[in-house]
Amino acid sequence: MIDLNRVSKVFDGKRRATALENVELHIPRGEVVSIVGPSGSGKSTLLNLIGGLDRPSSGEIRIEGENLAQLSDDGLTRVRRDKIGFIFQFFNLLPTLNCLENVALPLHLRNWPRKKIEDRANELLDLVQLGHRVEHLPEELSGGERQRVAIARALSVYPPILLADEPTGNLDSRTGEEILRLIQDLHARLGSTVLIVTHDMGVAAQCARTIRLRDGRIEGDNRR
Amino acid sequence: MMLLRLLSWPYLKKHVLRWALTIAGIVLGVAVFVAMHVANRSVHAAFEKTVQKIAGSAQLQVSAGEFGFPEEVLEQVQNVPEVGVAVPVIESTVETGIRTQGSILILGIDMTGDRSLRDYELDSADESIIDDPLVFLAQPDSLLITREFAERNGLALNAKIPLFTVQGEKQFTVRGIMSSTGMAQAFGGNLAIMDIYALQLVLGRGRRFDRIEIKAKDGVRLDECKAAVQRAVGPGFEIDPPSSRGQHFDALMQSYTTATGVSSLFAMVVGMFIIYNSFSIAVTQRRSEIGILRALGATRSQVQRLFLLESVVAGFLGSMLGVLAGMGMAVGVSSYMGDLTEQVVGVAQRLDELAVDPWLIVGALAIGIGTSVVAAWIPARSAARVDPIQALQKGKYQVLSAGENRRRRAGAAVLVVISGVCLFFNNWKPAFYTGYILMILAGLLIAPAVSLLLAKALRPALKKFLPAEGTLAADSLIQSPRRTSATVSALMLSLAMVVGFGGFTNSIYVSMDEWMSTALNPDFFVAHSANLTNRSITFPAEVGQTIESVEGVDQVQLVRDARVIYGGTPIMVVSVETEKLLSKVKRVPLAGNSKEMHALTAAGKGAIISDGFSSMRHVTLGDMLDIPTPSGLLKLPVAGVIRDYSDLQGAVFIDRSVYLKYWNDTTVNVVRVYLRKDADAAEVKRRITDSLSGKYRLLVMTNSEVRAYVLKLMDQWFSMTYNQIAVAILVAVLGIVNTLTVSITDRRRELGVMQAVGGLRNQIRRTVWLEAIGIGIIGLVLGMGLGAVNLYYSLGMIQRDLGGLDLDYIYPVGFMSLMIPTILSAAFIAAVGPAESAVRGSLVEALEYE
Amino acid sequence: MSRFILALVLAVSGGMPAFAQDGKQIVEEAQRRARSGSQRYEGTLQVIDAKTKVTEKRWVFDRIGSHGNSKAVLRFTAPAEVKGMALLIVNHPDRSSDQWMWTPSLARERRIAMQDRSTRFFGTDFSFEDLEERDTNQFDYKLLAEESFVGTPCWKIESRPKSTKSSQYTHSILWIRKDNYVLAQIENFRNAGLIRRIKYSDIRSVQGFWTAHTTEVEDLKRNSRTVLKLEKLQYNLPMKDEDFTLQAIRREG
Repeated sequence: MIDLNRVSKVFDGKRRATALENVELHIPRGEVVSIVGPSGSGKSTLLNLIGGLDRPSSGEIRIEGENLAQLSDDGLTRVRRDKIGFIFQFFNLLPTLNCLENVALPLHLRNWPRKKIEDRANELLDLVQLGHRVEHLPEELSGGERQRVAIARALSVYPPILLADEPTGNLDSRTGEEILRLIQDLHARLGSTVLIVTHDMGVAAQCARTIRLRDGRIEGDNRR
Repeated sequence: MMLLRLLSWPYLKKHVLRWALTIAGIVLGVAVFVAMHVANRSVHAAFEKTVQKIAGSAQLQVSAGEFGFPEEVLEQVQNVPEVGVAVPVIESTVETGIRTQGSILILGIDMTGDRSLRDYELDSADESIIDDPLVFLAQPDSLLITREFAERNGLALNAKIPLFTVQGEKQFTVRGIMSSTGMAQAFGGNLAIMDIYALQLVLGRGRRFDRIEIKAKDGVRLDECKAAVQRAVGPGFEIDPPSSRGQHFDALMQSYTTATGVSSLFAMVVGMFIIYNSFSIAVTQRRSEIGILRALGATRSQVQRLFLLESVVAGFLGSMLGVLAGMGMAVGVSSYMGDLTEQVVGVAQRLDELAVDPWLIVGALAIGIGTSVVAAWIPARSAARVDPIQALQKGKYQVLSAGENRRRRAGAAVLVVISGVCLFFNNWKPAFYTGYILMILAGLLIAPAVSLLLAKALRPALKKFLPAEGTLAADSLIQSPRRTSATVSALMLSLAMVVGFGGFTNSIYVSMDEWMSTALNPDFFVAHSANLTNRSITFPAEVGQTIESVEGVDQVQLVRDARVIYGGTPIMVVSVETEKLLSKVKRVPLAGNSKEMHALTAAGKGAIISDGFSSMRHVTLGDMLDIPTPSGLLKLPVAGVIRDYSDLQGAVFIDRSVYLKYWNDTTVNVVRVYLRKDADAAEVKRRITDSLSGKYRLLVMTNSEVRAYVLKLMDQWFSMTYNQIAVAILVAVLGIVNTLTVSITDRRRELGVMQAVGGLRNQIRRTVWLEAIGIGIIGLVLGMGLGAVNLYYSLGMIQRDLGGLDLDYIYPVGFMSLMIPTILSAAFIAAVGPAESAVRGSLVEALEYE
Repeated sequence: MSRFILALVLAVSGGMPAFAQDGKQIVEEAQRRARSGSQRYEGTLQVIDAKTKVTEKRWVFDRIGSHGNSKAVLRFTAPAEVKGMALLIVNHPDRSSDQWMWTPSLARERRIAMQDRSTRFFGTDFSFEDLEERDTNQFDYKLLAEESFVGTPCWKIESRPKSTKSSQYTHSILWIRKDNYVLAQIENFRNAGLIRRIKYSDIRSVQGFWTAHTTEVEDLKRNSRTVLKLEKLQYNLPMKDEDFTLQAIRREG
């Protein structure tokens, strides 16, 4: 499903910083994996590389057998749009769009027919139990609700892979748990592969597999 | 100053492109201003220089308009005891056969007369300037040219120069070369001197002079001399210092300079909005920085001063560059204007250098900096008002508060009401212009509110069109009115100017067309050259008889027109054969009764005036005209007012019999020829040319050629203003680039999210393009609206102060429908760069962007 | 114009020897002796400029009447470019002369309004002033010396224009031959500088009038000179007044 072969990422700035070094990783279909590590250990970088938001300095990343390095920018985008859903720490909802529009955005970008988009968006909002807030703007929602909208958006095409970067990081612990439960629940129902970057060991504990990163290297890989 | 270096410089470095765009706004505004003024000034200076160099030390000139006067007047003037020296002059530009030289100014003077007025012989001459004065006089083909002209064309003594005279192309002989000082500098060195009597023949003038130049007798005051000469020659003559020709020239150019002045002002205002825009954006973007400053103890006025200082620096840089660019542009503009004055006004002058008034440069710098500071004032004030606590909290940018919007709307309403009131006092000049200015201001005040409304209205449409990209583009417009409204305002102003101008030209073309089809209806026009504004070459009336006897010709009408000075400024006097004209041209007078008007004029008991003359000189039906003629003042009542575009200064039509009597001149400069119904035009044209060949070199122009010529003149007259409009639009488009550059920075995260959730690069581009097009659409709607108002006032201004033309209000629908694709494609082009930079750059950073 | 011709002719006309006490009387005597009822000659005028380029013109000169009341017609005969051009000069005792020029190629006459007398006469080295009749009352004369000029005894006389008389020169020096009262040389000065020198030579008696047949003007500033030679000189021929009118010069042209 997700294969990383000797992946390194070096940032060229005033100081060269190695974010990832020779990472080897294989994540089979349907697994729920948490990536933990102190800040700066490279966990977000890893997620960005897998999500095709960034390109590795060396090494090979394959998503369902497709080598990301060989894809153009638009090719990468196609992989993202068809196979990957993103959940961000700061939700990254578009403030000017209401819930429905936010969820519908990826579908519009795929040029789905209008009717189908509306049905799907409503379906997704129901799925995250926000069917009653369709017309609301993000700023009118609580943090948990916003994250649920973001999750609905990430699920828009029911992608095989769901990437979450600190999904609970900006929420109080109760809401965080709710969100986590929602993700688990969705995983159970939809069978997606889920990668969660977190520094919350409680979150990690609920995942079947935990990958521990330190200084850009995999320090531990435990299956529960 | 310290703050400026510490804070502004890093920001500037980070946003080099934006500052470049801002400065470009000032550069363009100032450049246009400088170019127009330098060009105006240079053309004027070139004319004045020519006048002054030619006049030499003459103190007064005796003239009677362009018609000239009989030779006998010279003796009358010479016999005035107060006159020291009096010499006759004829002056004309003549087409040379040398391809690259165009026309040459020929000055006819009495070579045996006094030379104390003009120095064309060197004091230190060790060779004679004129090879042999006696031969020079004996041979009518003798020319004295300037050394510069000789060198430019490789001409030596006894070389031949082809000139187009009334008898056709004839060879003239260089019999002398002037040194390149003194008079030779006139007309850019393209000056030749001929014996005045020989020149009379060349120009077909008969025994007439154009003017007499006078030096008062030693010890006689100039006003005494002037009064004495005036008594001797009568009131039909102008006796003025040579410099008055410069004033007349200015009067001829006045409508043009005003028009260019107004549009360069518009360009400036448009530039101002770009600056305003930039500063507003800078203030919003630097809110946290301002917050820190305030938290560290900076006072409000310090913050305000910081921004104003920045604007001074930007204004200074922009103005400096603008002055340089303007000087560069002025070279082209001046030579264009030089041609224009020759073509349209019929006053030739030749530019050899730019006249730069240091005060103009100072003024341009002041205007540039002033504009910049004024534009930055409001942003600087709002920077000072930034609340440090709020500013330090991350979050959305401040949007225009509802209260502010309400105040603006209220202000606009008040202004509209006041200008409405002004409309009732339209006849009073200050009220008219106050109304005009207030209306434009009102437009500017409500522009943000209206553009918000329009953006909201656009959202569903755009959403329909491209749901994801369209919605986001519209939202971007709605979300930050500060970002868009200034650009939209700039665009609105530019377009309002386009509407005003387009409407005016449209109306004038419509009216011109109507005029041409009624008044300019002969089948042929016979004249010396295709340049009908050149009236310095005339021919005898017998040409008319010759043409009339040609088979196929039905009727021939003789026309002689020229400028005379009426009330201090030039007007056009056109002498026509009224009865013949009436039989062919049916004109409906604006005032007066057609039958009576023609009868009175034909009988020499009245004159017909053009509407322009009527409104500029405040003369109407029944008023007395005092037209100066060599035989004294010609007093004629206005028998009728007609719509006529013969001349921008206004025209007075008199009967040819009156002309013959008062001017004592039988020459003609245009012959209107009507053919028999069954005649073959091409064949008759050939026969006319044949009948004249050998004696006169005259051009037979068909009706459509003359119409095309008139339209070409119009186009020429307007093209400079078109260019200025193009500049204004360019400035506005720069504003769009500016706005979008900021917009994509502001929306970096949003665009990143779009890409993260699957937006392809083209989809990202499209949303940027759509935003630009949205600005374009809003600008178009607002501009067309304000344009309707501007057009109303422009037409008023034209009737009131420029040319006195009473034009119908016709909204330039066709012209504006051309503007829609133009502006939208310009907006699109403006968006290309920003859109590209939106899809480049790191996604990861974009998503983390705060 | 006429004055120039007259002066030229008068100045070169001879006279009898006499005693003279002061400069003015000598000059007046010279003028008196030159007086004749009419005159005709064919003149050849050569201008030799600084580059020794020579231009030549020829004319026929007729004069009727004498000092102050004369009329003259000067008609150019060569070169071809100027052939047919004619000058008519009508002198008046009380005011400046009227002058007309007939230009055959333009088929019209023009009035010559000469207002600046320092102007050169049609490209020659004569200025118009050099060619004027001298009214002796307008000048102060001083006999400077008696000296020999080109082997002939002469009076050397200084003439200065009176304050009422405007002149391009501050003073002139005249050499008048003692034997026949004919002018032998004039030097014209502006301040200390010599500007023009006019030499008279080939002095012969024609019908009792001593006349210089060659006049040479030298312009020292321009470094050029002009030589006028008279041929077929005759005095007191019968001439008609009506040949000295505008109509007449038009007709002949």
